[in-house]
Amino acid sequence: MELFLERLISGLTNGSIYALLALALVVVFRGTGTLNFAQGELALFTTFVAWWLTTQSLPIWFAIAAALGVGFLMGALIERLLIRPVAKRNDMAVLIVALGLFTGLNSLAGLLWGSETKIMPSPFPNGESDFISVGGARLYGDALGVWGALIVLMGLMTLLFRFTKVGLHMRAVADNATSATLAGVRTSRILAIGWGLSGAIGALAGVLVTPLAPQQLSLTTMFSIFIAASAAALFGGLDSLVGAVVGGLVIGVLEAMLTGYVSVIGGSLQQTSALLIIVVILFVKPTGLFGTTKLVRV
Amino acid sequence: MGVQEPTVVDDPPRAAPPGRMPSGPVAAPGSPRGRGRSGRERLTVIEGSRRHWALRALAVVVVVAVLLQASQAQAFRVGQFTNVFIIAIAIVGLNLVTGHTGLLSIGHSAFFGLGAYTTGVLVARYDAAPMTTIPVAVVLSFALGLLVGLPSLRIKGLYLALVTLAVGVSFPEIIRRAEELTGGAAGLVVRSASLAPPAWTGLGRAQRGIWMFWVSAAVLLLVMWLSRNLVRSRFGLGMRATRDHEIAAAASGVRVARTKILAFGVSGAITGLAGSLFTMYIGALSPDGSFTLLKSIELVTGLVLGGIATQLGPLIGAAAVVFLPQLTGSLSTGPLSGVVFGVVLITIVFVMPEGIAGRIGLWVRRRVAVVPADRPRPAGDAPPASTPAPPPHSNTHNRWEDQ
Repeated sequence: MELFLERLISGLTNGSIYALLALALVVVFRGTGTLNFAQGELALFTTFVAWWLTTQSLPIWFAIAAALGVGFLMGALIERLLIRPVAKRNDMAVLIVALGLFTGLNSLAGLLWGSETKIMPSPFPNGESDFISVGGARLYGDALGVWGALIVLMGLMTLLFRFTKVGLHMRAVADNATSATLAGVRTSRILAIGWGLSGAIGALAGVLVTPLAPQQLSLTTMFSIFIAASAAALFGGLDSLVGAVVGGLVIGVLEAMLTGYVSVIGGSLQQTSALLIIVVILFVKPTGLFGTTKLVRV
Repeated sequence: MGVQEPTVVDDPPRAAPPGRMPSGPVAAPGSPRGRGRSGRERLTVIEGSRRHWALRALAVVVVVAVLLQASQAQAFRVGQFTNVFIIAIAIVGLNLVTGHTGLLSIGHSAFFGLGAYTTGVLVARYDAAPMTTIPVAVVLSFALGLLVGLPSLRIKGLYLALVTLAVGVSFPEIIRRAEELTGGAAGLVVRSASLAPPAWTGLGRAQRGIWMFWVSAAVLLLVMWLSRNLVRSRFGLGMRATRDHEIAAAASGVRVARTKILAFGVSGAITGLAGSLFTMYIGALSPDGSFTLLKSIELVTGLVLGGIATQLGPLIGAAAVVFLPQLTGSLSTGPLSGVVFGVVLITIVFVMPEGIAGRIGLWVRRRVAVVPADRPRPAGDAPPASTPAPPPHSNTHNRWEDQ
């Protein structure tokens, strides 16, 4: 039971991270209708920025705020300068630009800060004794912090989409960009804000996950997280915020349970098994569990 | 797949589809330009005529001469050329599914790896002769391709790209897991004795480099020829119709699902063939070396750079992805080449979406036109230089000229 709880906790913690990055993917998908392959590497880059600021003996909270700012700025700039000019052409052009950003940003981080592993301080208490006992299992401070961050972010996003003008406009653009434009929504600004927002969310995921990740902060940290996050977003149907969170948590827990209890998988087939489940789900329900089916007119 | 503008289905096979073209004038190549406006006369070659055969013969001579010249280079260079050919074969495979059928695959590293490991395991564990493992590798990769294409019955566009991503990511994990067979993370080394050229060639073990050079070159030429014919066949027409407008294609009687699945199968088989040759060329395999997602990105980069849906694009793109990192690598090692890769990929999408081969193709077609012998002559076409073809004609007329 204790072991089960511990696995559940670690699954939920990883799942929260996947959910955060999946939210970033969903925000972009709703606006632009594409999967941002560079989302993970963008988060990696901003996390490197945060790490660099902490080495300049700035407080960790300042570094995180700066990373979020840089994430927002880079997201918005990428949309405006790189994505929008080709978005009209077709899906593939956007995907290829994203692939270019994927390799480019990763290598740029390596070029600027070197490829050796960095130790990123955690914003939450994560010492050996900073835990509360839940049914015998240890719930550490940083795990609680990640859960808290996810809950707060979900709350903020709900407020944004439900009660603000920008949120309303974002929903309008996601629903039908042309109609939104005709109704007076400044579509291009909304799209840039959407990308900026997702860049900031990704940055948050990055700074939260690296103190927990087994490989700390290195050039490969975000890749497996990105894979899991895109699976999570896909699970939820790519355009559903709730779906992304549920998907993230499900994949996190599944991964922890499969690794813990199924010895054939035993740590080395994590990604494969998670992805296999996703493919099966897609096969049964091609638009994900929470996604909306789009009508196509000819 | 988003909603694309409906395009002409019988668009000739060469350049990128109209949707991918940068702007209007390119989408209708050769209209009045080339001929009338610039005052330059276009060389018209009738298909099957003596001049056409002479041009073909010239092309063959040039290819053979270049190959002979290249085979005389230092062993190290010959190895690099071999690598280019192998990557080019893999990209020809990718081109069929991504370029001609319009399904972006980011999982082709898995096909490459499956072909490579099939050959590697058969040679290292079961002492098979390298060449006899090729058919096995091709059949297995074909089967995997069908399997990957199968979800396309229900899953479309971006979702399908994610399925290919799943395949690409899973492959190294599975290889690491199947340790008894593949050597796991430690890798698989094939003794060079078992990769020696066959006895009938009269080449010794030390001449494996030059042997693989010629084998790869021959296979590349064969595969390019096959792919050209496939794209021009009835099935190829179905592929392009599926790419340009899936619903319109289905309405016109193209069996979209079957086309996609088969395209994935054939594409996988060709990329698997490249993987098989790769094992013979390199002799040592490791799951994290050449078969990760980065390989897929490299193949996509090569395809885009060389020219999506072009015949020569894969070769040009392969040369670029093999030599580009080395050029930048000589300036500084490591991450800089990744940055250059990314920048090149993005720049190409912006300034030259038709790729290098696509651009060259446009340039050539403005000067040389190959027309079928039984082409219906539009009225008013007789003196080409004096009368610029009036717009209504030029439309029907281009379609013929560009084939």
